[in-house]
Amino acid sequence: MSLLQMNDLQRHYQTPAGTVKALDGINLEIQEGERVILLGPSGSGKTTLLNCLSALDSPTNGMYMFQGTEVPRSHSEKMTSFRRENIGYVFQFFNLLQDLTVLENIHLIQELAGKKDPVRAKELLKLVGLEAEINRFPGEISGGQQQRVAIARSIAKRPTLLLGDELTGNLDTETSNKVMEALVHACEQENITAVFVTHDEGLVKYATRVIRIDSGKIISDQKVDSSDEEA
Amino acid sequence: MSTLLNKRLARSLWRTKLRLVAVVLMVFVGVFAGITFGGYAHNLGGMYETMQADDDGGANLADLWIDNRSATWSPGQVDAFCDSLASEFGSNPAALFSLDSCEGRTVTQGTMFHTNGTGGHLINSFWHGIPGDANADRVWMPEGHSIGRTAAAADEIVIDAHVTEALEIELGDTVNISAGNTSASFTVVGTGYHPLHVMMAPEGTLFPPESGQYVVGYLSDTGMARLTGHAVGTSNTIVLDVEGTPSYDLPDTPEYEGEEIDVLKGIVDASLSATELDARVRDRGQNEPVEVMRQDLEGTKRTTVPFTVMIASIASITIVLSLQRLVQSQAKEIAVLRTLGVKRSSLMTGYLVAPLVIGGIGCALGALAGPWGMNGMLDFYQDLVGMPIIVRTIPSSIYLTVIGSTMCVVFLSGAFPAWKASRLDPLEVLSGQNEMRVGSNLLRKLTSWMPTTLGLSIRSSVRKPIRLTMTFIAVGISLMLFGSIQMMSAGLEETMVGGLENDQSWDAQVYIMPDGEQPVFDWAENNSANYEMLIEMPLGSVADADDIERTFTLVGIDSFESGMRAVSLLDGKAPSGNMAVTQVVMEEGSMRFLEWNVGEQQTVHINGAPHDVEIVGTATAELARTMYFLRGDLSEILGVNATSIYLEFPEGVEVDSALGEVSTGVVKRQTLLDGINSLLDQQTQIFQTMMYLGLLFTIVVMFNTMIMNVAERDFELATLRVLGASTRSLGLMLLFESLLIGLIGGIVGVLFAYGGAVGLAASFSSWQFFVPVTIVPSVAWQLMTGVILIAVAMTPFGIWRLRRMDLVEKVKDLSS
Repeated sequence: MSLLQMNDLQRHYQTPAGTVKALDGINLEIQEGERVILLGPSGSGKTTLLNCLSALDSPTNGMYMFQGTEVPRSHSEKMTSFRRENIGYVFQFFNLLQDLTVLENIHLIQELAGKKDPVRAKELLKLVGLEAEINRFPGEISGGQQQRVAIARSIAKRPTLLLGDELTGNLDTETSNKVMEALVHACEQENITAVFVTHDEGLVKYATRVIRIDSGKIISDQKVDSSDEEA
Repeated sequence: MSTLLNKRLARSLWRTKLRLVAVVLMVFVGVFAGITFGGYAHNLGGMYETMQADDDGGANLADLWIDNRSATWSPGQVDAFCDSLASEFGSNPAALFSLDSCEGRTVTQGTMFHTNGTGGHLINSFWHGIPGDANADRVWMPEGHSIGRTAAAADEIVIDAHVTEALEIELGDTVNISAGNTSASFTVVGTGYHPLHVMMAPEGTLFPPESGQYVVGYLSDTGMARLTGHAVGTSNTIVLDVEGTPSYDLPDTPEYEGEEIDVLKGIVDASLSATELDARVRDRGQNEPVEVMRQDLEGTKRTTVPFTVMIASIASITIVLSLQRLVQSQAKEIAVLRTLGVKRSSLMTGYLVAPLVIGGIGCALGALAGPWGMNGMLDFYQDLVGMPIIVRTIPSSIYLTVIGSTMCVVFLSGAFPAWKASRLDPLEVLSGQNEMRVGSNLLRKLTSWMPTTLGLSIRSSVRKPIRLTMTFIAVGISLMLFGSIQMMSAGLEETMVGGLENDQSWDAQVYIMPDGEQPVFDWAENNSANYEMLIEMPLGSVADADDIERTFTLVGIDSFESGMRAVSLLDGKAPSGNMAVTQVVMEEGSMRFLEWNVGEQQTVHINGAPHDVEIVGTATAELARTMYFLRGDLSEILGVNATSIYLEFPEGVEVDSALGEVSTGVVKRQTLLDGINSLLDQQTQIFQTMMYLGLLFTIVVMFNTMIMNVAERDFELATLRVLGASTRSLGLMLLFESLLIGLIGGIVGVLFAYGGAVGLAASFSSWQFFVPVTIVPSVAWQLMTGVILIAVAMTPFGIWRLRRMDLVEKVKDLSS
């Protein structure tokens, strides 16, 4: 069953130089449980697409349906509400709150979503392999560990869709692999659909589907299987 | 390259206009306040210098007054004394100053009969007889601020300019005046001032009645002779002036400064003995009207310093916080430029110039507006004392000091953080590592039991402890301006008005000559008025712990509880009469200064003679130092039954001319109250200006800090918004943070306000003028509530920032 559908989605920006078509007719359907990587050069529209998927940004034209319902596109609080109920987000630079411990960063999101669940928070940290660091502050752990905390935080409220923008962009190869393994493990355990943007072709092996974008259009959309990974 | 870099910096700073304007505004405020108060203090002294100058433009102020109000010295006696004095001056090698003038005068209390639209009135008055060739002191008639000329003929009078407007007296008017049992009419030939009557209050009282309720007039010597019926040249006062101004003891300082005047007094005493004249000798420090105004001037000048320092501190703290923040926000740009290879020295040029430009603009504006502020304050003081302040200048030293110190603060606040930023590792700045920090475990433990959102609010609030501390200090100082003045005003009002209004029930106080009470009793009985005798004389003195002689007023009343002048006791009991050691009650201010306690026996001097007294009680503070006796006891010591009579009138009875004729002066209690209230209202006006300035500063400082706090949380707030936090939940977090800062700020403010009140009262207080501090709970609550409300009122700004946050742009920032 489709989790989300985009039909002829467009996002245009007016600049002094003219109209920029960041998204120029995106047709996309993502199923539940998929792990999708968006690949493309700079300025191709990957981040814009991610922003529209998360309702951070509103498309200029086209349709975006999520679980059969049209996603709000003009009311800031409704869009925030949509994100709170459905979306998990992981940033490139982790964006953990420095004044809270690892565990408290997760508690905060749970509280903002409605209710703190200390047991689940600890389970999530165990899921990403950080159960020993629960009382450490972000400044006391490595970048890779911080990103794993960010992943745990992003799924704390059981989102339907997890989004990530260059989430390994700030990490070395070995750490990136650890982070991605944690992400895949968490998505499989929690049955979360994931879409993440990256430049890194090496992360294809962690995806079930690769979509390439250029100039605001999808230029290829391929499923990834184990034989492709070995290749 | 430097030009380009400076251009970049200017444009970058211009992007944060609001913050830039706030810094310029604070610089302006600091400089404006410094020049206003500095110029004010400088010119206040000039007011007295102009009037007291011994030249054609001034009226001179004598150095010594030799008087005996109940004496009548013939011109021969006065001449003999002056000759003896001149001889002593000439032959005494210890005389450091030469005698300039030795002149006889008659001065007397009296009454003016004044008729206006509301009928005829008896006005308590004081008359001077001043010869045409007077030199020791004269009537001051400054050009543009007085009219007419001095009195020359026997039927001419100059009325003091303080009262002419209230009484609608003009040149050519005829006034009817009396002194004791004699009266006469005079023609008004001028209005002017006199150095002894800057404060228009009867002798022995610190409270000027309402304008027009006390009159001073200046007759010629022939005019005084005509009024009193004595020969021309008859005197009860001799005024002495020497070349220069010998130092005299200042009653409000612990040191003794009267060595020079003591030599002169010794010479005067010798001449008094030689010529067998019985008189008291007073220097400027012992002449109450002169000394009170000197202390008022010194007190006013003294208070300008703490006010200026407070305002400058608040301005400085705000400048430091804002400018630091302004420059620290440039850290990334600085890092980028350093990465591109720009040298530190090229970079720093702009950051050295920028604060100078910002400070320069603020200083220029402040310097332009300062004279206007100074004139406003001088106009206010001029109206308060009723004397013109003619010379108004601002020395360049004030400009240099104020502007110099301000520019130092601005320069250091801007240059130092820029220097620090230029020394940061560009890689660390660009990778955001310089913003990484480890949270506080202590805070974590303290807040772990709370909901995480509240815990985050508390931890965010104290994230920058130095900034928070500086904010609280600035808020505390601002509230010190606001709250301390309120607390002090409450104490002042209670002291000045409370006793007179609540504890006293007399309607009129009738001053009499010794043994002159019977005619007043007769008048009272004829008018069904109640009466009560009173002794009130400034004849007490005692040496304090530093061996400085302190004078105080002796008051003798018949009953401490049920009389027309009840005495509120803080401690102890009312005296009992006819004891082996005279029992007395001393008021609070005296007890504190002298460090006396109830139950102690002390030796005081009464009219020059030592006398043992037992302190049996402490009365509530009065402005003047006072010792209360039972009238019978004091009468035995002084040898007079009464110096005045209190009268309580039945309905429809008022002071009339018949009463005036049997008295040397009449004061109505309502007139006194009206005068005090009027004075308090005037004082309150300038105090209120300070108060609201304090409140304004509180708002500005808190607003400034909270804007910075919210702006620095953009990163956090944007992250939480992207993660789905609603505006409502984030708004509640901001609200809690505001409440917390407001609560702590309020407590700090109350503490500062109380400390400031104590300090302010202490700076105003002296032996002559004691100001108690009353802790007014309502003021404390007001301060707390006010600060909390101000802090909470900043929350909508934070919510507004949240709402207008472009999350798409923020995500780019967060992901880069």
